[in-house]
Amino acid sequence: MPRTALRLTLFALLFASAAFAQQKTPAAKTPAATPALDPARPIAITGGKLLTITHGTIDNGVLVIENGKIAAVGAASSVKVPANAQVVDAKGMTVYPGLIDSETHLGLTEISAEKNTNDLVETSDEIMPHMHVADAFHAESALIPVARYNGITNAIVAPDSKDTLPGQNSFIQLYGADASAMLLIRDIALPLNFTGKQRRNESFATSSYPSTRMGMAAQLRQAFTDAQGYAAKWEEYNKKKAAAKPGDNPPSPPSRDLKLEALLPYLAGKKPVVVKAEEPNDVETAFALAQEFNLRVILNGLTHSQAIFDKIASWKVPVIVGSIYDEPKEWQRYDAVYRVPAELSKLGIKIAFASFEAHQVRNLPYAAGFAVAFGLPYDEAMKALTLYPAQIWGVDDQLGSLDVGKSANVVVASGDPLDVKTVVQRVFIQGRDVPMTNRQTELRDHYSNRP
Amino acid sequence: MKMISAASRLRPRLCAFALLLACCTAAAAQQPSSYAATHAGKNEFVIKNATLLTATHGRVEHGSVYVKDGKIVAFGASVAAPASAPVIDADGKYVTPGILDPHSHMALGDDINEATSPVVPQMMMKDAFDYNDKSIYRALAGGVTSSLLLHGSADMIGGQAVVIKNKYGLDRDQLLFPGAPPSIKFASGENPKRVFGDRKQMPSTRMGNFAVMREAFTQAREYQRQWDEYNEKVKKGDKTASAPKKDLKLDALVQVLQGKMLVQIHCYRADEFLTEIAIANEFGYKIRAFHHALEAYKVPEALVKNDIAIATFADWWGYKYEAWDAIPWNAVLAMKAGVRVAIKSDSDDYMRRLNQEAAKTMRYGGATEDEAMKMLTINPAWIMGVQDMTGSIDVGKDADLVLWDGYPLSTYGVPAKVWIDGDLYFDRSLPGLGMPQFQEGQ
Repeated sequence: MPRTALRLTLFALLFASAAFAQQKTPAAKTPAATPALDPARPIAITGGKLLTITHGTIDNGVLVIENGKIAAVGAASSVKVPANAQVVDAKGMTVYPGLIDSETHLGLTEISAEKNTNDLVETSDEIMPHMHVADAFHAESALIPVARYNGITNAIVAPDSKDTLPGQNSFIQLYGADASAMLLIRDIALPLNFTGKQRRNESFATSSYPSTRMGMAAQLRQAFTDAQGYAAKWEEYNKKKAAAKPGDNPPSPPSRDLKLEALLPYLAGKKPVVVKAEEPNDVETAFALAQEFNLRVILNGLTHSQAIFDKIASWKVPVIVGSIYDEPKEWQRYDAVYRVPAELSKLGIKIAFASFEAHQVRNLPYAAGFAVAFGLPYDEAMKALTLYPAQIWGVDDQLGSLDVGKSANVVVASGDPLDVKTVVQRVFIQGRDVPMTNRQTELRDHYSNRP
Repeated sequence: MKMISAASRLRPRLCAFALLLACCTAAAAQQPSSYAATHAGKNEFVIKNATLLTATHGRVEHGSVYVKDGKIVAFGASVAAPASAPVIDADGKYVTPGILDPHSHMALGDDINEATSPVVPQMMMKDAFDYNDKSIYRALAGGVTSSLLLHGSADMIGGQAVVIKNKYGLDRDQLLFPGAPPSIKFASGENPKRVFGDRKQMPSTRMGNFAVMREAFTQAREYQRQWDEYNEKVKKGDKTASAPKKDLKLDALVQVLQGKMLVQIHCYRADEFLTEIAIANEFGYKIRAFHHALEAYKVPEALVKNDIAIATFADWWGYKYEAWDAIPWNAVLAMKAGVRVAIKSDSDDYMRRLNQEAAKTMRYGGATEDEAMKMLTINPAWIMGVQDMTGSIDVGKDADLVLWDGYPLSTYGVPAKVWIDGDLYFDRSLPGLGMPQFQEGQ
């Protein structure tokens, strides 16, 4: 698209969002408890305003779902509704791709204060790459239906960031028969946390190594160095084994070390490392360390790193933008952190939003909307919840936009996805009509009808 | 009662502060603070061409507000104001009353809980209040003009709260809300029983929680009886009567029994609302509001019957077991049953965007614009006991006003200007902190 045209589109979208904002109270209709549509037959969502993400907005659009995928998408005049399709009337509604949350703790916690319901992080050591959140992921968690009720269809599940290397993330969808159906990609990435909170320095009496940032960096460097050595040993062994002639004594293999083994795909650049840091000095230290070992980096956080955004832009890596609700520094203006997404985006950095939450994953779109109020173009905000995370996590062939052939993760809502007043009416995940119920709707209905 | 007024009632203290203030002002006469001088509630101006969300009179399109000497003198489609009054053209933007946060712990540092005993009503939040804390500025920038600063919930009876206007940049006593009635914070449920139970002390159960409270009020009654007896003797001219020992802790509880303090109770579970109400009835005091109140939707009638408001979260849940049955429809279900509902922050984060939190009641349960506005303004004002002074755009009320960029009840609503008592304390368009006082080098 020519640049001017792109600008005009952005402008139009911004304007559209402003129009949303001016509306009087929309009719906040509670989603009806309709019987779920049959996934074996085509589904046609008709008459809605489609936010396709990749090819603009289509008013009075039609989206056809077949076999769990988007089979057709376009203006009503150009898309034929299959004769046997189940029709969802989306007149007056907005239709958009399922939202992707780039860091959650879904399935790792139930009640924050109840220890037995938490499997957030193994803090017995700081270097724990052999922890797999997939092993703890509780698919039946009451939190997941609450999150998808507001249109979040996919998420990264990450361990809590109390360790420098707390374990490997999984990429999930928020609906499925069981854990294995919901865990779309196990061990998709390795978080590397460098915010200072990983220091074991609670008090002089209890502090232990690493109690400083130097210690954290040294320990990380040692771990990756050990893993390199481990890889070399295996390489040597494999060479010997391949060279061994029949009748030779077979070489004995090195003993396996699951911790070091877990680091190998990351050292080989096969999978990304999610480097979390907030302050400029931490960002620089952690990024340099990652470069030392040729790691593929996704940055995470950057909440207080405004001073080096230009430098970060030159690194050409994507960013999971830290919570914009983090407090600014004492000396900063009230909106210093609210403006971070806009500032990164303006520098051409690809950003994705995350809730960093479990119970409040449902509020993910509001962070993006709030970033719009502080300068982020509306179009970019929508992309940072859909297409960009899909690209960052390598699933954009399947997710992130309303495009033919992609998985039918589709949301139908009463209006602007980023506005807090909007009521999500229907959610489709892999073409399945997700029940609009959860523990909270059940409590609501139960007590609304009590004796 | 004489002994009470001589001891620890808040009002005389406020008078004392007023006196102090007068002295300070006199002493500082040679070097007047220019900011305090320009922010003394003496401005006059008209806001024109605004969409007013008044909270008590609905929406006024193309409305005006005339402000003079810190008060709203007139508002409506047109106002009669002198031609000399400066005009602020709102350019069609929204103007609302200032938001009130009826549950905040900002500017209290880590002095929130004197958790060394479960009953400490003599603790006064004012003594710990740090008026220089930047969180006040951040609340102000979120359109919050007044906050109720409460104790934490470690103690069953935590102490006396402070009501402030968020006039960041002025001195401590200038932030205290003049004429606001005193509030006292009670708690219940998991927090007190955990804090004291972990120390192998009572209370470690909900039974213990309430036993501690009953014990305290029983003592307070006895104390009150002793003083009544003594005062009666003095009245009859008995010169030999000796006064009972003055006890500030019991003094404070006697004030609760006499209805001189607004009782604010941290309470989550439906059954605990009922127990709290029963204890209040037993000892004859009134409960002003349940805070958090996440299960109000289960027993709204009991709250309506006793005229108890709630200060609740829009959608927080699951952070502890007593928050497991929280639902985002709570506010609206309680409201529809007749409960007076306020949305509060209990957080230095959420206090910066309470407008969005209130808008969630439109998403969950379909609150109207008016209803959501009330939850941000007049209802929390009632909980704080300042409903006749602020909390709506009404003639005679304090000119606590917010001009918004975007629609306030949306993700996009951001305060552009905030006035308190008619003085401008925040202006987004200014450089630096966006405050008339702090513009340089930020």
